[in-house]
Amino acid sequence: MTPWQNHHNALQRRTFLGRSGLGLGSAALSSLLGRDLTAASGEIPKGVTHFAPKAKRVIFLCMSGGPSHLETFDYKPQLDALDGKAMPESFTKGQPIAQLQGKELKVLGHLSKFRKHGQSGQLISDFLPWTAKMADDIAVVRSMVTEQINHDPAHTFMNTGTAISGRPSMGAWTTYGLGSETEDLPGFVVLTSVGGRNPQPIASRQWSAGFLPSKYQGVEFNSTGDPVHYVRNPKGVSDIQQSSLVNAINQLDQKRNQLVHDPEIDTRIAAYEMAYRMQTSVPELVDISHEPQHVLDLYGATPGDGSYASNCLLARRLAERGTRFIHLYHRGWDHHGDLARYMDICCGLTDRPTWALLTDLKQRGLLDDTLVIWGGEFGRTPMFQGKGGPGRDHHIKGFSMWMAGGGIKSGISHGATDELGYNAVDNVVHVRDLHATMLHLLGIDHMRFSYPFQGLDMRLTGVEPARVVTELLA
Amino acid sequence: MKFCIPILLGLPLMAASEDEKLDFNQHVRPILSDKCFFCHGPDAHERKADLRLDTEKGALADLGGYAAIVPGKPEESEFYTRIINEDADALMPPEDSHKHLKPKEIALLKRWIEEGATYEEPWAYVPPKKNPLPEVQNTDWPANFIDHFVLAKLERKKLQPAPDTDPVTLIRRLHFDLTGLPPTPERVEKFVQAEDPESAWAELVDELLNSPHFGERLAIYWLDLVRFADTVGYHGDQDHNISPYRDYVIRAFNQNVPFDQFTREQLAGDLIDNGGKWQKVASGYNRLLQTSHEGGIQAKEYNAIYAADRVRNLSAVWMGATVGCAQCHDHKYDPYTLKDHYTLAAFFADVHDTGYNGNTLPTNRPPEMLFHSDVNEARLDEIKVELGSLLKPDQIKQLRKFDAGKATLTAKLKVGKDQKAKNEVAKKIEEIEKQIAGLIPTDTRKKWDDLELERQMIQKEGRFTMITEAKPPREMRVLPRGNWQDDSGEVVKPAIPEFMGTISHEGDIPTRLDLANWLTNAEDGVGGLTARVFANRFWYLYFGTGISRSLEDFGGQGVPPANARLLDNLAISFIESDWDVKKLIRLIVTSRAYRQSSVSTEELLALDPYNQLTARQSRYRLPAEILRDNALAVSGLLVLYRPDMEPARLGGDSVKPYQPVDYYKHLNFPTRTYKQHNDARQWRRGVYVHWQRMFLHPMMKATDAPSREECTAQRPRSNTPNAALVLLNDPTFVEAARAFAARVIQEGGETFDDRLDFAYRLCLSRSPDEEESQLLRNLFTQTQAEYNSNVEAAREFVSLGQSQYPGSTSPVELASWSAVTRTLLNLSETITRN
Repeated sequence: MTPWQNHHNALQRRTFLGRSGLGLGSAALSSLLGRDLTAASGEIPKGVTHFAPKAKRVIFLCMSGGPSHLETFDYKPQLDALDGKAMPESFTKGQPIAQLQGKELKVLGHLSKFRKHGQSGQLISDFLPWTAKMADDIAVVRSMVTEQINHDPAHTFMNTGTAISGRPSMGAWTTYGLGSETEDLPGFVVLTSVGGRNPQPIASRQWSAGFLPSKYQGVEFNSTGDPVHYVRNPKGVSDIQQSSLVNAINQLDQKRNQLVHDPEIDTRIAAYEMAYRMQTSVPELVDISHEPQHVLDLYGATPGDGSYASNCLLARRLAERGTRFIHLYHRGWDHHGDLARYMDICCGLTDRPTWALLTDLKQRGLLDDTLVIWGGEFGRTPMFQGKGGPGRDHHIKGFSMWMAGGGIKSGISHGATDELGYNAVDNVVHVRDLHATMLHLLGIDHMRFSYPFQGLDMRLTGVEPARVVTELLA
Repeated sequence: MKFCIPILLGLPLMAASEDEKLDFNQHVRPILSDKCFFCHGPDAHERKADLRLDTEKGALADLGGYAAIVPGKPEESEFYTRIINEDADALMPPEDSHKHLKPKEIALLKRWIEEGATYEEPWAYVPPKKNPLPEVQNTDWPANFIDHFVLAKLERKKLQPAPDTDPVTLIRRLHFDLTGLPPTPERVEKFVQAEDPESAWAELVDELLNSPHFGERLAIYWLDLVRFADTVGYHGDQDHNISPYRDYVIRAFNQNVPFDQFTREQLAGDLIDNGGKWQKVASGYNRLLQTSHEGGIQAKEYNAIYAADRVRNLSAVWMGATVGCAQCHDHKYDPYTLKDHYTLAAFFADVHDTGYNGNTLPTNRPPEMLFHSDVNEARLDEIKVELGSLLKPDQIKQLRKFDAGKATLTAKLKVGKDQKAKNEVAKKIEEIEKQIAGLIPTDTRKKWDDLELERQMIQKEGRFTMITEAKPPREMRVLPRGNWQDDSGEVVKPAIPEFMGTISHEGDIPTRLDLANWLTNAEDGVGGLTARVFANRFWYLYFGTGISRSLEDFGGQGVPPANARLLDNLAISFIESDWDVKKLIRLIVTSRAYRQSSVSTEELLALDPYNQLTARQSRYRLPAEILRDNALAVSGLLVLYRPDMEPARLGGDSVKPYQPVDYYKHLNFPTRTYKQHNDARQWRRGVYVHWQRMFLHPMMKATDAPSREECTAQRPRSNTPNAALVLLNDPTFVEAARAFAARVIQEGGETFDDRLDFAYRLCLSRSPDEEESQLLRNLFTQTQAEYNSNVEAAREFVSLGQSQYPGSTSPVELASWSAVTRTLLNLSETITRN
């Protein structure tokens, strides 16, 4: 057993919503023996891994709406050659199609230039000048495929491995498997920002624990109002009063428990203690105003603005404090029309902060064991769509994502689409493969990572084949 | 390593005793199913070596001079030699399946073969039969047949049932179980002081079964099963019109509509002869699924998604089956084939999900109907008659014509600017008035106008609701691998799963009505299965756990019933009562088993963690809606009936309690701001709370209410800091604490002790002891001291929420008492059903 695994054995029960104040062993015991259990709460998560992990945590930068691979990472000279011409039917016949159903299909050439960057010479578009600076730090996957062509199910598919509602998000799986390294903050945190074209809605299903115990559910941090729902005292109640109140509740509960011997009461006492701690730790965490100016400048963050830049900075703060899975959503990438204009906006809001996050993590030595993933729920068609100026429709047969940090081979490209960027043809990476790879880097064998539900051993990667993309591993 | 505990195996109480023959379904099938059926089970496409172990025929078949299983002879059974094989290549289950047999399991399989390798049909698909009452030694204990079965099992294990619980716990338990509301101190007093506890108990059971709030409590469970929600659930998550369906469910439970009729009305309310308004509303069941308004969805794809959704729900709700697994392939563990999935889906091919409009709030998804409450509907009928009797038909015709003309002119009058022209219009109106006056006497005219106005007002109170209207069925094909783009599968007609036989029907093809009848007919259908599924769920509602713990899966991977004979007899009793729901519930709650204490010993917890032996009652945190109801009831804020109607009535549109303002910020198409209700609807029961699938109210979510995207047969029961934050700080609970405090000050007497006693009786149905009093007195004094030095803070605290508080009370006193009542509302004892 590696030292890291030992470490994790010790931390095994330290999940945000599950830590008992009564010692690690008794918490597990109470869950197993004490409760009038339902199927969903009868688990014993193990903070142990199958093999030595390369990454301790994940920061998933979800570019919600589906950024165009053809204006970010996937350069196809042939696309420009056919600009304005009919899309060859050999590509599109019998294929799923979203808003272009029943429309004439024409090729739309690239709306930006591509250049080679870094020692690796990765091709990156001019929309992403800051990403270009980290060409040698990232591994670009140019052959992603997914199965869902509409936003809502495609997000669900990207996050849970299926389009059927009610399954756990990958963040929930990760915290379920590894627990959290923090006692005062959630193990799975969601941060959102907007900017770009009319933002696509997003459901809290995307950070749901599904059939896993609800303590593994993602907790959304809000930039306005309470940073976490109900984390602030009611108006007119001081911290001392709140503390006395929680004490009174716990003392009375303890007294009651001498009579009824209910392990669930022990757990509740611990939950109230933790709730009280969160009332301090969460507001402290989200307050970035004490960060040095040069750090704020690095990200381009203004305290309290709720921007993607601020969220990137928060992601670093969460990573430092031991949060296991940090999921950022930037909603604005659905560019059916006016693609160039909206790309300017989206990239303007996200490109530099993303670079800053990687840079900051690197400077602090955190990038080595933090896996950073960037990408949307799908890509966009090589075909023209014209809602406003030129744009592109949803596309699922080939798109790009990138990964960096813990255990990832940096400065490489993996896979390729065909000459028009339509179908992923070389080294195709399915969403399931992405999940398998992510879990692998966390030290988990996706095939042996399951939870019983409705009579099945459910896995994040499901029953269809999934492979760890070893070519991406350092 | 595997991140789960074996829920099926290894529990002491499930272990086979040495002196009894092994029970295939109880002991052997769970192992075979979990470890072998994936490759050697019902799925013909996945089957390896052409061997199936889920049937006796398959297991005993001659494989060319040898057989997988030779009854009585493990050493000659290839099956056995393979599971103990030391050669990794020959070992079963194979390494790459990540399934392993434990020594205990191997020993058990060996013993089973030695004992003759008897197979039994899957237990769920063997019709239930009535078992004779088992003998018990302690003949004083049983109150009804349930207790005989429970006690016989306990005595075999040399265990005693728990003692009866105390009367205070008992009345609280029954109140929460049957109505979801706490008992009043007066009702507790009456019950506790009763001279004849038995008749007092019987009286209480009757009273609560007949309470109008019984239907509301049971509806919470039903709405989870059928995934009832106020919004479409995908993408824009727009509101849709469906609240009258909830009224139907509450009404049906209150009126004790037999369960078979309840089933027919929901699945096929539109097909029932002489079906009325309520049957149409009930048929909204077929419309409850998640739907999408996302731009660019492919109709064919969504037809397939909706069909699969309906099959999943139908099979989960009524059959305790996971037929959804057969959407892409034959079921791995149960005998449902890919084709069965599509023939079941074909029953719903006459429900069309088309013609809806874009992104309005609410959206409309035709067909819908305008629903009026019974009282309103009766009044509308009366008005129609009264109007008819006032005037002759030709008068009405003329009047309508005049009225229409007048309306047009009046509109002109409003927008017109030219005074001269306006005067002319006014003159014309006058003329029309004169003509009307010539036609109809003025007093008749007035009556007419009053009635018309009333009619219009009532019409406005109507609510739209989605219903089912059968249309010509869409073509239904088997979709290979579930692929909606693959048209190569055969076209299928409605049919029940093939292994279950055929369905009786009168018309050319079976309908949803035939399906409903098949589900609830014990002789000519699977009524026995349905009865078992629901007897098990009612047991769960009143014991906190099912007799079979897998409430949603009675298949091979489910958990066999811990007390199969008891479950059978409950099911038979349900059928024999003509599906009388209240009768079944009465049977359960009047058992002695129900009245047991929920306090347990460590030994019993270790032996029976899931309470499968019923050697005690269960204790668990109240469900989300009831947490809310309890706090509001104790505080006196709870609004039980519709505030807008006389006489008092249940039901109504969904209500919107306080909620963080930006909570819907991620919704779009259209974007929306949550508008909490600023009237009495603020304090209605949890069952009426607006159910936003994509962003369920944070209080509900933190306390385990499901999103209702899929069928939920049992909610998880978490115990988290998030829930603690809700109970501590959610304005609904803070306001309830303040109202509770105001009640305590006003009605609880003058001294601290009197007031605290009053508060305890309201909240916990008992008095505090000395230690509790002391502790809370300290809290009160300390809080009061702090507020005395900061009166502004006290003022700020008491101003929270919409409800009025008595102006005569000092803010400091009210805020200080609120610290006490907040404490009480957060106690484990308050929020636990014991």
